[in-house]
Amino acid sequence: MDEKQKRYEKIDFLGEGQFATVYKAKDVVTGDIVAVKKIKVGTRTEAADGINRTALREIKLLQELHHENIIGLLDVFGQRSNVSLVFDFMDTDLEIVIKDNKVVLTPGHIKSYTVQTLQGLEYLHQHWILHRDMKPNNLLINEQGVLKLGDFGLAKFYGSPTRIYTHQVVTRWYRCPELLFGARQYGTGVDIWAVGCILAELLLRVPFLPGESDLDQLSRIFQVLGTPSDEDWPGLKALPDYIQFKQFPATPLKEIFIAASDDLLDLMSQLLKMDPLARCSTTEALKMPYFSNRPPPTPGPQLPKPSTASQKDEAEKEQKSLKRKIQMESSGASLAKRLVF
Amino acid sequence: MAGNYWQSSQYQQWLLDKQDLVRERQHDLKILTEEEYQKIMIFFANFIQSLGEQLKLRQQVIATATVYFKRFYARNSLMCIDPWLMAPTCIFLASKVEEFGVISNSRLITTTAAVVKNKFSHAYPQEYPYRINSVLECEFYLLEMMDCCLVLYHPYRPLTEYFKDLSNEESLYPLAWRIVNDSLRTDVCLLYAPYLIALACLHIASVIEQKDLKQWLAECNVDMDKILEISRQILALYELWKNYDEKKDIAGILEKMPKPKTS
Repeated sequence: MDEKQKRYEKIDFLGEGQFATVYKAKDVVTGDIVAVKKIKVGTRTEAADGINRTALREIKLLQELHHENIIGLLDVFGQRSNVSLVFDFMDTDLEIVIKDNKVVLTPGHIKSYTVQTLQGLEYLHQHWILHRDMKPNNLLINEQGVLKLGDFGLAKFYGSPTRIYTHQVVTRWYRCPELLFGARQYGTGVDIWAVGCILAELLLRVPFLPGESDLDQLSRIFQVLGTPSDEDWPGLKALPDYIQFKQFPATPLKEIFIAASDDLLDLMSQLLKMDPLARCSTTEALKMPYFSNRPPPTPGPQLPKPSTASQKDEAEKEQKSLKRKIQMESSGASLAKRLVF
Repeated sequence: MAGNYWQSSQYQQWLLDKQDLVRERQHDLKILTEEEYQKIMIFFANFIQSLGEQLKLRQQVIATATVYFKRFYARNSLMCIDPWLMAPTCIFLASKVEEFGVISNSRLITTTAAVVKNKFSHAYPQEYPYRINSVLECEFYLLEMMDCCLVLYHPYRPLTEYFKDLSNEESLYPLAWRIVNDSLRTDVCLLYAPYLIALACLHIASVIEQKDLKQWLAECNVDMDKILEISRQILALYELWKNYDEKKDIAGILEKMPKPKTS
């Protein structure tokens, strides 16, 4: 196993999160550039738990999934609780693209990112897997402009009617109303809602619904989309953490996204349906006129590259974005991203 | 819950041939007869089952652990890692993969030691020697040896599906389920698709209960030769069991089993 460690020559530090450190490395056997995610061995109790559960979840699911728009797991090495996962190297992610104010996102660019996201997600849902942490930061983009869903640490098989799931999933800003109301049984709608929020963010270039607490999140959702009635969402009041909200009227999406085309807004309103059962599926979304109407999605190689072209700068940038996240986490402003369930 | 078996790592990487198994076992079969080897595998499948029951795991998790065990020794000699250590390691990894609750490692070791002492002392009279550190080390070898293929498809789900179609034959269900459990003591889980194993178990159950399912099976339009081959392997297991007193014989066979070199 030492051999494997030697197989990947560290080139650069890419970032550090709560659970792992990521390095850019060169596979000396193939010459490929890869990303090595080294899982941190935290406390003694964690070390005693053997192979980290989050890593195991990523390993087990990614080993079954092979799709252009899903990150590829290339290798696993390590020993004991000290695990490293080797992934396709990805140059950037959608969060960096959105935040880069030198990048102009045309309707064709937005369509390309959206179609790739939905295709990856459709494949996942067809395999009965929920991602449960869809957000721009987890939509990775390589040099050829191929977008891949990454970070499967929260992903899970779904569909077993008897199993109870935790509602503490998905980063808050992308979290759907049923999760915020404490639903323990949910489905593909949680990922679909997040795609709706991401699409909105691509247009606005800032997070669409940046709630500061779970309650604030709900109230922002209702202020924009209108407080749902019983007819809009049957069964709403039966959810575990349901509370009555003030009646807000819905703001027409056209007024928020002035520049967006009608076919895009049709799609967004289907993705952001309050009632999870009324929300469209990935397959339905991909069949909507938006994707067949002009302009066509921009081909990958022509998608914008974030202005900080040199890798070093990018790494620094990523570090900063991670730092920001860590600060948020410690200040309690953001939710704990991963929970053991 | 399941993805798609036909695109799974189980179908694409872990559906083995009889020849693969024969080749990989050559080393152990220089020391053991084929029947003795089979008895050892049966014995450890029973051990895993007892461990799992004592830990109150679902059958799904126990089945996963058993197949992990078989996968490991399908590619390695018994002398590579002591099966007495591999068995609880398989349980440990399977319980994490299947996400059915957490087994604390102290509970894993104390339960293993207790099960060995109370139920398997005829085979292992000494005190159980392994500590959690060995399990953690072994876990990684297991993961690596399986090429990180962790998601398993078992015959239980297709079996349940078939009984939705056979609503008049409900009475066969518990028997067929038990035969699936027994099939984990043969090599069929490494050699055939789970739905075929489910059909073979259903077929055996129907013969035992003298229910005529020929028409239904014919309509399934599957490869009957495979169903019959699986049935033959399971029946061979029952034949072996009939004339064999495990309590009396196993200690002698385990004595012969090739052991890891202790440094």
